[in-house]
Amino acid sequence: MTTATGRLVRTELKLMLREPLTLLFVFVFPVVTMLIIGGSFGTKPSGAFDGVNPSHWYVASYLTVVIAATGLIMVPVHLASYRERGVLRRFSAAGFSRWSFAVAEAVTGLVAVAGGAVVLLAVAAPIYGLPPLHDPVAVVTGFSLGAVAFVAIGVLLGSLLPSARSAQAVGLVLFFPSFLLGAGGPPPKVMGSALRSIAGYLPLTRVSDAVRDPWLGIGPATASLVAVAALAVVATVVAARRSAL
Amino acid sequence: MDNVNVVVVRDLRKTYGGRTVVDGLDLDVGAGEIVGLIGANGAGKTTTVECIQGLRRPDAGTLRVFGLDPVNEGEKLRCLVGSQLQSSALPDRLRVGEALHLFAGRHDDDLLEEFGLADQRRSAFGSLSGGERQRLFLVLALVNRPRLVILDELTQGLDPSARRSVWAAIDQLRVEGTAVLLVTHEIEDAERLCDRVVAMRAGRVLDAGSPAELVDRHGAWATLRFSMPADSPGLVTPERLRRLPGVVEVSRNGGRMTLRGERAAIAHVCAELVSADWVPPDLSVQVPSLEDALVDLLERTRADDVPATDVETIGANR
Repeated sequence: MTTATGRLVRTELKLMLREPLTLLFVFVFPVVTMLIIGGSFGTKPSGAFDGVNPSHWYVASYLTVVIAATGLIMVPVHLASYRERGVLRRFSAAGFSRWSFAVAEAVTGLVAVAGGAVVLLAVAAPIYGLPPLHDPVAVVTGFSLGAVAFVAIGVLLGSLLPSARSAQAVGLVLFFPSFLLGAGGPPPKVMGSALRSIAGYLPLTRVSDAVRDPWLGIGPATASLVAVAALAVVATVVAARRSAL
Repeated sequence: MDNVNVVVVRDLRKTYGGRTVVDGLDLDVGAGEIVGLIGANGAGKTTTVECIQGLRRPDAGTLRVFGLDPVNEGEKLRCLVGSQLQSSALPDRLRVGEALHLFAGRHDDDLLEEFGLADQRRSAFGSLSGGERQRLFLVLALVNRPRLVILDELTQGLDPSARRSVWAAIDQLRVEGTAVLLVTHEIEDAERLCDRVVAMRAGRVLDAGSPAELVDRHGAWATLRFSMPADSPGLVTPERLRRLPGVVEVSRNGGRMTLRGERAAIAHVCAELVSADWVPPDLSVQVPSLEDALVDLLERTRADDVPATDVETIGANR
């Protein structure tokens, strides 16, 4: 890639791999927590887990933890830090086209999600086994739309928050409730009604439903898929308007 | 006139939250000209050059750079303009060689060599010293051979040797016909490099001209001191000296003379002494510098003392 945008994408990908926060949250945290939680409820199908193997339930769910870590922590912290330190001004003054940085962030975020997912599945496969995909098209669609939606939310957060520190604080505050209620914590069926109701409103819960249900044969999760698609469109449009150099 | 000017700014205005930062500024930079913007903090220098680069949208006024509008035609413009920005950075983990490749699409070892960064090619930006960072920013500003270079606080943090190499690079730009707009606190930079200096205060131009013109207009008097025997026949008298062109004040204290006047008076006084066959062994001459002139101008002129007529249109001298 020799265009300015291509060089920016390649550089951002390289820098992503040198960033400890990214490596920790996107590549290590989901794997470690998946190993702990996924092994806590055994492998016997249970009603609390919609009648499926709890380990498989968590393997499918933790795929979306990677999406949340990328969209709520990695992207906003990275972007806010660039703006705070004047890196974006420098890119802008150096002649990078208006959309080049937004494209670079989107590509970097999506590659991080894909990379994190591959690492997670590679670790899960020999330990818990990978559950067969009941509806591969729906799973890939849900995962892809969820990744686009959360990367766009990350870009939006990064363009709104004034500093890397505030992006980190806000990102963590958004990430942990989403993680615990929407993907990596207890299944909704064992939650109290209030918590289950809150969880139902979280975007990550919708993404988890759209990935996990068609994967494990729990159901098509059409409503969640539509909600995730709508979120992806709205977040991308708003983020694109905010993130041009 | 405008077609030979690289930068044309007319009646530029910019406010932040009700505070006027640039207030009706006019500025021209001609092709191949090196123009320095000088002023105290908050004078509006950086905002002006950010508007010229299209990084900020002016509230009012006309801006043209190579005939293009920096706000709406910024992308066409950016390949013609190289910038070294104040308060900006690169990603900490980006290496020097990678930065060069990112900004230019190629490796330019000659420029890294010229600015003493060849050994830092694999060093991360975050590990560079302040001076090394400044030199890297300058390399990045110059690497695409721009026709206009905007340098904000060019030599901040540079040691004397690095500063000299930066000066040499700017001299080379002059030879190549590249226009340079220099924002600086360092009057030595302006005196050494600039064809024209624009003094700013409170978003307005106070005065502009070559360093020598500004010294003439705003510098204190030149002062000559020398000894002269009081009763030696044939020597010049204080009265004769006072009548020389440019001399405004002559005083005598015992055998010691002190004269004040315009810089041109120095030559007349010295000629008069030589013709009278008196070469004083202790002659000292104190000439006002650009720093004296600008400090005097900037401190003397309060923002609200500047009538509208004092804000002159700065035209390119060439």
